[in-house]
Amino acid sequence: MSIEEKTSQKLPELLAAGKSVDGLYAELCSVFDQEHQAASSPEQVKGLRDRWLGRKNGLLAAANNHWLKAAPGELKPQVGRLQNETRKRLEAALEQAAKALEISPQAGEGIDVTLPGPPRAIGATHPVRLVEERVQSIFHGLGYSVAEGPEIETYYHNFEALNFPADHPAVDEMDTIFVADRVLLRTHTSPIQIRVMEQQKPPLRYQVYGKVYRHDTPDSTHSPMFHQMEGFAVDEKITFCDLKGTLDYFLKEFFGSDIKLRFRPSFFPFTEPSAEVDISCIFCAGRGCRICKQTGFIELLGCGMIDPAVFHHVGYDAERYSGFAFGVGLDRIAMLTYDINDIQLLFQGDVRFLRQFR
Amino acid sequence: MRVLLSWLRDFVDISEPPEEVAEALTMAGMAVDTVTEHDGETVFDLDITANRPDALNHIGIAREIGAIYRRPLRLPATDVPEADPPAAERASIEIADPELCPRYAARVALGIDVKPAPEWMRRRLELCNIRGINNLADLTNYVLLEMGHPTHAFDLDLLEESKIIVRRAKAEESLRTLDGVERTLSSDHLVIADAGRPVALAGVMGGVETEISDSTRNVLFESAWFQPGSIRRTSRHFGMHTEASHRFERGADIEAPIWAADRIAHLLGRVSPGTILRGVLDAYPNVVNRPPIRLRRSSIPRLLGTEIPDRDVEGILAALGVEISAHEWGWELKPPARRLDLEREIDALEEIARVYGYDRFPSRLPESASGVTRAPFAEEEARLRSIARSLGYHETVSYSFISSEEAQRYGAWDAVRLKNPISEQWDVMRNTAVPSMLQALEHNLNRKEPSPRLVEIGRLYRRQGDSYVEPPVLTLGATGDARPAALGERTRPFDFFELKADVTALVEPFDFEALAFDPQGAPSYYAPGRSARLLGDGNVLGCLGELDPLLARERKIRQPVFVAELFLGSLQEVGLRRRQHRALPRVPAVDRDFSLLVPEGISFAEICAAIGQQAHLVKLEPAELFRGSQVPAGRYGLLLRASWQKPMESLTDEQVNVYASQIVARLSKKLGIEQRA
Repeated sequence: MSIEEKTSQKLPELLAAGKSVDGLYAELCSVFDQEHQAASSPEQVKGLRDRWLGRKNGLLAAANNHWLKAAPGELKPQVGRLQNETRKRLEAALEQAAKALEISPQAGEGIDVTLPGPPRAIGATHPVRLVEERVQSIFHGLGYSVAEGPEIETYYHNFEALNFPADHPAVDEMDTIFVADRVLLRTHTSPIQIRVMEQQKPPLRYQVYGKVYRHDTPDSTHSPMFHQMEGFAVDEKITFCDLKGTLDYFLKEFFGSDIKLRFRPSFFPFTEPSAEVDISCIFCAGRGCRICKQTGFIELLGCGMIDPAVFHHVGYDAERYSGFAFGVGLDRIAMLTYDINDIQLLFQGDVRFLRQFR
Repeated sequence: MRVLLSWLRDFVDISEPPEEVAEALTMAGMAVDTVTEHDGETVFDLDITANRPDALNHIGIAREIGAIYRRPLRLPATDVPEADPPAAERASIEIADPELCPRYAARVALGIDVKPAPEWMRRRLELCNIRGINNLADLTNYVLLEMGHPTHAFDLDLLEESKIIVRRAKAEESLRTLDGVERTLSSDHLVIADAGRPVALAGVMGGVETEISDSTRNVLFESAWFQPGSIRRTSRHFGMHTEASHRFERGADIEAPIWAADRIAHLLGRVSPGTILRGVLDAYPNVVNRPPIRLRRSSIPRLLGTEIPDRDVEGILAALGVEISAHEWGWELKPPARRLDLEREIDALEEIARVYGYDRFPSRLPESASGVTRAPFAEEEARLRSIARSLGYHETVSYSFISSEEAQRYGAWDAVRLKNPISEQWDVMRNTAVPSMLQALEHNLNRKEPSPRLVEIGRLYRRQGDSYVEPPVLTLGATGDARPAALGERTRPFDFFELKADVTALVEPFDFEALAFDPQGAPSYYAPGRSARLLGDGNVLGCLGELDPLLARERKIRQPVFVAELFLGSLQEVGLRRRQHRALPRVPAVDRDFSLLVPEGISFAEICAAIGQQAHLVKLEPAELFRGSQVPAGRYGLLLRASWQKPMESLTDEQVNVYASQIVARLSKKLGIEQRA
């Protein structure tokens, strides 16, 4: 006899058939427990509640009607207590089940958390810009303002005022792209030194970022357009030691304090003394590898004390003021920092490449 | 430049291992690129900077080593066994242009056998990458590599009247140079001539007609000094770059000609016996005397930042060949003639610093200055970048060059043309960033990236009268799906409204009253009807829309491509809206929907304009658009949702009813729009 049939029979009949009150309620509870355990979704729990605790047609309501109400007088207290206890027990169990399901889905009826969520489209910052942002914040910290200047520049600002002698091979080395006779695409960001000094008096601390151009056929290491960062400081009492200290701070801030710097004498028309700065190879820690061509060092930037001839062009008193300047290729730093082996990747807009810099 | 360790040892003692010497040279500014072994010889490959022509030879490098280690330099022998008659009786020199040729010296040798040079000489030349020719040519090359002065050997018997005349070429004159090329000359070019014709391109290359040959017996060795600018112009004009021109155009040693001629004469006995005539012919009309340099002791700490002991200062300069006289305030210096780069105090300081060793100067930070100013548009640009990024656009950078054809098609003004472009496809500076953007989109489509999103912030270039301006522009490029495909979600194509939403998000932080999208006025490369001009308070801020499908097809792109251009100059003028908090409303807004039948041709903007201002009206939005059988012909259905809000108190139904009927009345009166039954 099913539990439905039992609860629809009057208690005296069931007693007559040899059932006990305790046994009937125990059976009720055990059937509920089985069904309760099998319920694993909110829908099933709701179904269970309707089936057992439904106000009109629930099994407990039936038990109330057929068992409690029909109970002989002497059994009433016992049946009443059992009926009550059972109701409370079922209510508590169902509430618990509903809560548990609400909070965490049960295994089997849950979700496959290993499936991917819908892709999010977040754009990437260009690697050269990433480098620029880092360098800029380092120099902001050192008190350097930002200056800008034109990419289409005059011969005067790009060469003459920077003390490039006319008809000198140093001009050739720049492989200039010309727009007109005395107008060109700047070959470096150094003309901004002149433009700033033409406008302002010392003390100066400036950083400059921008595109520069050389007449080079593009390949994996050459580009007719690339990015340069220029920094310069002019003041009373600026010395070569200040230049060394500034670059030491910058490069260690950028590449890590464990790198070593090497200042090699070099030649630039607009600085004297001039130096090229190498850092110990960041790939092999100076032991020698493919990237540093087994030298342990990577050539990074050019710098020097601003040549008095440059001050002369802008009307500064070279006896009173001194200064230093340095220039560095941002693309090159980006390539070193992010292990990029082809400069052309920077200018193709290939999203497979750019995405890597999110 | 190749340098042999064994050859250097002829002039200076070197006991250090080669790698150590290379390192020391590099750290003194003579960059040694490689140290290699060739045939038992240690070979240094050096990269000498353009200011140091004096170091382009073995003695020059030996002198540097001497200065670094403070060791004496041994100069090679130059004694010459001479014989009568005097050379002046056998040949003559005339300088017709002393400006371009301040000095011309020569030695004459008779009875020479032309044959291969001795093995030791050929070996050294070959190790330095100089091909052996014959004993005389090899001899001049040997002296060049040894002490740096370029010389040239003429067959004396082929010089008409045995005369050397240094002059500018005449128009119509020509010369076949040793490389076999016939050169047409002009008065810009300095030549060595005999009585009748040019016989050499001065300081660049000799001529074929007076070349040393097997039958040569008598020789004139030229040892001259030419004005660097003239040599450079000539070698550039003819596209010739020779060992001689390389040195002359950087500036040779005006005091070297006699020395070089004597060294050649000295070595001549070892390559071919013959008679060296008495005396050096030397035309040097105006002896160059350079003023001395005053080096103040106080300048050393002022510019270099640290003191350097006097004995180091003097030791370094002396080793470099500078004559020094000490004074209380410092030193008076007389630099050697070969050091044209040494003429000012700062030049002397550099010499001291580099040989003393840059690594011996302490590092310190300068005393800090004042506050910092950012780039003028830095904050605005940063905001645009971060919004574009969050909208899913990857930042790209493209070349500033485009083709003149692209410039004409997409640009709004004449592009700035390049005189010596990299290629025909890159012959102008871009006057539009659209072609570069299309190129990048195409690049991605060709690589199975069907939905690229790119943003570029960069400059355009424009001539304005006598100067140039470089207006900044932000360019968006998008195509493919609106959103990446996801599990259980259908994607849909990126369309005009996606682009419009992105553009709106970008300009939203700027300080406009009203933003408008004008359906007219986008340039012709946009698809008409699916493009617009963006106006902020009536000023043009940019354009956006679908690219003309015909142009896309030319690039073999079959899907719609969307482009937007924002003129950052206009945004710059407006500036960012000030961020400001407004008290949050205490009560929510009230919505009403209007189901409207709108005559075709009336735009949403016109509907909003017709409704105009109304008290507490905070939003008008199109909730649904429908066309078809349920809508009468010539009209479209619009479910318009209006929201009102009074921040601090609730609006009553009666009030909202009044506003709503006002809207209905205005639409009906101004635009003939009816409410749906």
